[in-house]
Amino acid sequence: MKTYPQWIIAGALSLLTLSSAQADVAPEALIGPVADYKLYVLDNLEMLVTETEAFTGAIQDGDLEQAQALYAPTRVHYERIEPIAELFADLDASIDAREDDYEHGVEDPDFTGFHRLEYALFHDESTAGMDAYAQGLMDDVNDLEQRIQALTFPPETVVGGGAALMEEVAATKVSGEEDRYSRTDLWDFQGNVDGARQIFALFKPLAAQEDPDFVTRVEGNFDDVEATLAEYRIDADDPEAGFVSYDEVSDADRRALAGPVTVLAEDLSTLRGMLGLN
Amino acid sequence: MKKSDNAHRCPFAPPTSDVEASVETPRDPPQRDRRRFLRSAGLAGLGIGGLALSGRCPAQADAFSSQADASSSEVTRAPLQRNAQLAYPFHGRHQQGVTTPRQATGMLVTFDVLARNREQLDRLWRTLDARIAFLVRGGEYPTRDPRYPPHDSGILGPEIAPDGLTITVAVGDSLFDTRFGLAEARPRHLQRMTGFPNDALDATRCHGDLALQICANTLDTGYHALRDIIKHTPGLLMVRWKQEGTVPLLPPSPGDVDGSARNFLGFRDGSANPDGTDTALMEALIWVGAEHDEPAWATGGTYLAARIIRNFVERWDRTPLGEQEAIFGRRKMSGAPLSGDGAEGREQDLPDYATDPDGEITPLNAHIRLANPRTPETQNSRLLRRPFNYANGVEANGQLDMGLLFLCFQADLEAGFIAVQRRLDGEPLEEYIQPVGGGYFFVLPGAVDDNDYLGRGLMAATA
Repeated sequence: MKTYPQWIIAGALSLLTLSSAQADVAPEALIGPVADYKLYVLDNLEMLVTETEAFTGAIQDGDLEQAQALYAPTRVHYERIEPIAELFADLDASIDAREDDYEHGVEDPDFTGFHRLEYALFHDESTAGMDAYAQGLMDDVNDLEQRIQALTFPPETVVGGGAALMEEVAATKVSGEEDRYSRTDLWDFQGNVDGARQIFALFKPLAAQEDPDFVTRVEGNFDDVEATLAEYRIDADDPEAGFVSYDEVSDADRRALAGPVTVLAEDLSTLRGMLGLN
Repeated sequence: MKKSDNAHRCPFAPPTSDVEASVETPRDPPQRDRRRFLRSAGLAGLGIGGLALSGRCPAQADAFSSQADASSSEVTRAPLQRNAQLAYPFHGRHQQGVTTPRQATGMLVTFDVLARNREQLDRLWRTLDARIAFLVRGGEYPTRDPRYPPHDSGILGPEIAPDGLTITVAVGDSLFDTRFGLAEARPRHLQRMTGFPNDALDATRCHGDLALQICANTLDTGYHALRDIIKHTPGLLMVRWKQEGTVPLLPPSPGDVDGSARNFLGFRDGSANPDGTDTALMEALIWVGAEHDEPAWATGGTYLAARIIRNFVERWDRTPLGEQEAIFGRRKMSGAPLSGDGAEGREQDLPDYATDPDGEITPLNAHIRLANPRTPETQNSRLLRRPFNYANGVEANGQLDMGLLFLCFQADLEAGFIAVQRRLDGEPLEEYIQPVGGGYFFVLPGAVDDNDYLGRGLMAATA
């Protein structure tokens, strides 16, 4: 993890206005993990910017194959930080909305961002006419980075983000509707799980003081999910190689993923209360 | 609601605490009927006091008392009145929801079981048992620090009324695969439903490892129960499909109270149902017993055949009445068999096929004649129907997606639903209906007391 200007961390610290927590978790105890989480988000944002440059550049160069290859690894950074990225609803819509979000679907003029480009790259198998969409995505991602840098992270959002990510997985990843043309759902799946696990890891010591069994259970379910995901990695020794098409995930494994994902969503939904946050 | 409030509000509260005495006094024929119902609900030993145990107004059992006529088919008789405090006892040899008088609403929800081993499966049974025992009795949830998600969805408010809720747990053929070591204990006739010639099965609305039939006076009570169960079974269950339905409530008019409720084709449905209160008949036809040659653990259970049967209602409404009646073999308004006395006929009249061998009065391919030819050979293929009407939305062609959530119970699935449906294959009614989903399930035997739980017998038999 890189170092960031002091003011970012200071910003994250100074604006933590915490409600009175349960006796056992002091509000000040949350400051460190929240600051660490902001660093994690900024790290991913920087990678998102860099990789979006390459991805949109490939589209503007008309390099279909390269653009297809960069689609999933670029998105992963967005999927990891969704609880924060989603705070900017306008950008979330223009960056990550799916055609279902629009009355006229793919043809809707407001349909932009990753999934509009996905449709072109994997359904039409063409970069034709996508320059403006590519530029729009790049602009949005830059805008997002600036806004997040200036953002004070609300601790409720950070702590609740783990549950939010698992809800995201339960709602759109297990069903395989997120990346319906590229079938790269497992990348996003892993991205959401990474993001949730990062949040959990940061607050784990505090949660362990409250309920050690809870921590063990959550760890176990994260391990379960990751073990099942790992079976679908193209190269077990190379995380960069990514995942096979979601079409290749058996029904039995989709169910095997749904189980621990749902338990994680239930368990992580109690994390805010456990840490005394509203 | 506190018990005292309850008694205060009950317009029929007995003047003394002697509940048993009070039921003998007012209206006579309805009382007979109610007592019969109580017997069938397994309350014989408790008498009316059994209902009072759960803090109920005793006269609230009158929800059923105005259903006159003791002849037959209480199970499908139209529910007359909402009764939020109606509670059916959970414990018993048999589960509720089979011979229980049909509530005004019902849904079938099927699940994939996500449990990964027998230990988790056992936890699923115990969890279901505990949740159902609570939900059908009603009460309050524990409160929780508001910084946590609440224990309850809250859609019924702070106090959960039983509202006639029954939740019936059944298992599908797929649960007996290799996952849990249950293969040896598979009920003999349990199988994966296969399509009949007129079916257009939608894979997303078929089968399931587990099915819950959730019935109550109101759909909200059913949805509340379903959400409670989902919240308590993460990692154990995943919903596969769900179909809810309703039964038309009868208006309190004297002319029409004496019959089965109507389906969305406008015909009374359930006319020839065996009498759910006839214990001996139920043991012979519906409940698995020693004579059915099933695994011992299955005794007291029954097979559930579920079918989502789309009705092409626009087309049906453009069909002459005479043709509609010939297709069913009954008069549409009265429900009387065509072989009866014309306008004087009653739904309860027995069809006469013996004097009509060529089908001049009741066509040989009429629905009721094929389904139940009333021959000695087909007596064992009688089944207990407990259907609900559904309306889901609109098809792409602008036609209403309406139909029947057909649910029926029988001790022998082959001799029951499968045999009946084979006789019906090719019937003229097929022009107007199309089964699109469903499945076969085995309803677990009941949990007899607090030391027992649903599924215990199955687990013990395979331990």
